[in-house]
Amino acid sequence: MNIEIQREALLRPLQAVIGVVERRQTLPVLANALLVAGDEGLSMTTTDLEVELVARTEGQIHEGGQITVPARKLVDIVRNLPEGATVRLTLDQDRAVVSAERSRFTLATLPATEFPTVEDIGETEPVLLPQGHLRELIDKTHFSMAVQDVRYYLNGLLLELDPERLRAVATDGHRLALGELSGNVQVQNSQQVIVPRKGVQELLRLLDDSDDQVRLELSSNHIRVTLPELRFTSKLIDGRFPDYQRVIPNVEGNVMLADRETLRQALVRASILSNEKYRGVRFTLDKDSLKIQSNNPEQEQADEELAVDYAGTPLEVGFNASYLLDALGAMQSEQVRMGLVDANSSCLLQDTENAGYSYVVMPMRL
Amino acid sequence: MTEPIRKIIHIDMDAFYAAVEQRDNPELRGLPVVVGGSPEGRGVVATCSYEARRFGIHSAMPSARAVRLCPDAVFIRPRFEVYRAVSRRIQAIFRDYTELVEPLSLDEAYLDVTETPGFRGSATLIARDIKRRIRDETGLVASAGVSYNKFLAKQASDLDKPDGLYLIRPGEGAAFVAALPVGRFHGVGKATERRMHALGIHTGADLRRWPLPDLQQVFGKRAPFYFDIARGIDRRPVQPSRERKSVGAENTFPADLHHRDAMLEELQSLAAKVESALTRRQLQGMTLTLKVKYADFQQITRSRTARKPYRTASDMLPVLDALLDETEVGQRPVRLLGVTVSGLAPVEPTDVEQLGFSW
Repeated sequence: MNIEIQREALLRPLQAVIGVVERRQTLPVLANALLVAGDEGLSMTTTDLEVELVARTEGQIHEGGQITVPARKLVDIVRNLPEGATVRLTLDQDRAVVSAERSRFTLATLPATEFPTVEDIGETEPVLLPQGHLRELIDKTHFSMAVQDVRYYLNGLLLELDPERLRAVATDGHRLALGELSGNVQVQNSQQVIVPRKGVQELLRLLDDSDDQVRLELSSNHIRVTLPELRFTSKLIDGRFPDYQRVIPNVEGNVMLADRETLRQALVRASILSNEKYRGVRFTLDKDSLKIQSNNPEQEQADEELAVDYAGTPLEVGFNASYLLDALGAMQSEQVRMGLVDANSSCLLQDTENAGYSYVVMPMRL
Repeated sequence: MTEPIRKIIHIDMDAFYAAVEQRDNPELRGLPVVVGGSPEGRGVVATCSYEARRFGIHSAMPSARAVRLCPDAVFIRPRFEVYRAVSRRIQAIFRDYTELVEPLSLDEAYLDVTETPGFRGSATLIARDIKRRIRDETGLVASAGVSYNKFLAKQASDLDKPDGLYLIRPGEGAAFVAALPVGRFHGVGKATERRMHALGIHTGADLRRWPLPDLQQVFGKRAPFYFDIARGIDRRPVQPSRERKSVGAENTFPADLHHRDAMLEELQSLAAKVESALTRRQLQGMTLTLKVKYADFQQITRSRTARKPYRTASDMLPVLDALLDETEVGQRPVRLLGVTVSGLAPVEPTDVEQLGFSW
C-alpha cells in the first residue's frame, strides 16, 4: 500500500467514522480503522460490532492494499499535521508509516482479515429521500427513546416504512414521540425495524440539513443509510415494539391552545423549584387559564399563570416538566395544541403547523 | 432518680388578632372589636378585644350572636398574613432566649428556659423581659405563665390576663390543681367535663381521688394524662417543631345543605384544599375523615384508613362518597362538612409516581 492524500481529505472522513470506536474494546481490532486503498480511492471503516461506518475519500493510489491501524492515534496525528500537508501512507512489513513533510510515524497494525465488516445486508427495497428530512425525523423523535431499559426493544427508535410514508417512533414507556415523512416515500412492502440507541445517535451526528439525497435500506437484520461519501450500517434490535397507536389519545373536548414559547419558558422557570429527580409540575386548567405550580422537598414553590385558549372541563394534572419541554423544544410552530383527558390519562401535544409530529406524555401523580 | 425541675414559660398574646387591628387602626382603640366571620352569615368570632369581652363576646361564638350581644361592635375580617408576620416576629424574640420553642398557634407558645443563662436563673425575670420586648418591638401585649411543666404554665398564663405574669412554683402545683374546676383544665373539653361531672368529679381534688385503673376504664388512653395533671405532673417535653398530626379543611354553609349532590360538590372543593395543603407540606396521610355537622349541631365523623396513602383530591373523593353513605345526609340537613387527612407522613420521592403507558 502506498498512497498520497491531502490532510483535509483524510481528516474529514476519519472524524466522521471515529465516533463508533469505543474507548475500551472487547476485541483489539475494534480499536483500529480498516483502510482499503483501490481503484475507487481510499475507504476507512470503523465498527463496534453493532454500528459500522464506512467513509470514502479521493487520493493518489500508487499501490492498493488493506490494513488496520489504531484509529484514534491516526486521527490525532492527522489532525495535528500542518494544514494543507500531503500525507503519505505506506506499509513497512507489519508497520504502517504515516509521513508528511518532516514528520514520520510508525504505527502498529493488525491484518485486515481480522476486521469484522458487514457487506451484504440482504434483500432491501431502497428509499431515496433528502438528508435533511431524515435528520429532522430522527431529531424530533429520538429524545423519547428509553435508556438501558429492561424492555430492551424500547432502547431504540422504531422506523416504519409504509407504502407511502416513513414513520419514526420513540418511547420510554412514559412518553412517546411520533414523526412521519410522507411525499417522497414509495415502497411495495411495509416494514418495521428498531434501530438501537447508539446507531440512532451516530446517524444523527452524520446527517446534515442539506437536500442531498440519502439512500435508506431496511433489511431483516440491518439498517443502512448511504450518503455521498459515507455509509452507515447498524444491526437492529430484535424485538417487538409496542403497539404505539393504542396510546395516542383521542382528545376532542379538552384542548388547550397556548403560545409555545411562553409555555416553554414558564415550564423552565417552574421546574427550577420542582423535585430535581422527578421534575413534577402541576397543571391547573380552567377556562382560558393555565396555572403551573411546582414544589420541591424543601417546600419551596413556584407559581406560573398563563393565558391560554381553553374551553374544556377544569382539570388538574401533574407532569414531568422535562417530558413537556422536550416535546415543546422539538416543535416549531408559534402555538402548541395540548389535548387532555384527565389526571390519569395520556395527553397529546401537537405542532399547530406541522401535523407530522405528535407527542404523547403520561401524567405524574404528585 | 428524680428528674431535674424544668422552667417552662407559656406565652399567650392578649386578644391577638383584635390587638393587631387596634394597633394598626388607632380609631378602633377603646372600641369593642370583633375579628372573625361576618355576622350576616354563619361566621364565628376568631378573637375580640377586651372591650368586646365585657359584652360577653368570646372566641368561637357565632358572629350573629356577638352582634346581638353588642350591636355597636366593629366586625373585621381577619388579615392572616399580617398576623403571621407579627407571629414570626414574636417567635424570633422567643428564640433569643431558647431554641426550645413550641408554637401552639400564631399567638401562643411554650418555651423551655431551663438552660437559658442569665436573669439570675429566674424564669419569671425571663418572662418579664420577653413581655417587655414584645411590647417594645410589636406594640402588643402578652400574658405569661411560668411553672415547671407545660400544663401548669398554660394554666398560669390564663390567671392574670391581660398583661399578666403568673408563677406556679414547684410544690404549689398540686394544691393549685386541687382547687381548679376540671372544666378549666386545658386538655379537658366540654364532653370530658360533662362525663367527669357525671362521675362526681368537679375539681382537681375530686379527680385525684380516682385510681388510674378506674380512670382508664372511663377515659381509655387519655386516663394517664388526667391522672398526672390531677397531681400537677406533666412530663410532655417542649417540642421545638411540633409535628402536624392532620391536615384538614371544613366549611360552614350559609344555608343548610339538603342534597347529596350539593354535598359532594362541597367535598370536592374541601378535598382540593386538603390536597393543596398536603402538597405544600409534601405530606400524605393514611386516614381520611369526613366530618358532618347536622343542622341541629350534632356532629359525627366517619373515617377510613387506606392501604395507599391519600395525597390528592382524586384519592379522597371516592372514599368521601362512600363515607357519606355511612351518615344521615339526605335525610337530615347539614350545616358543616369537613375533610381531614391524618396519619401523616412525608411524601417520599418514590411516592411521586410517573404513570406509564398500558400497551
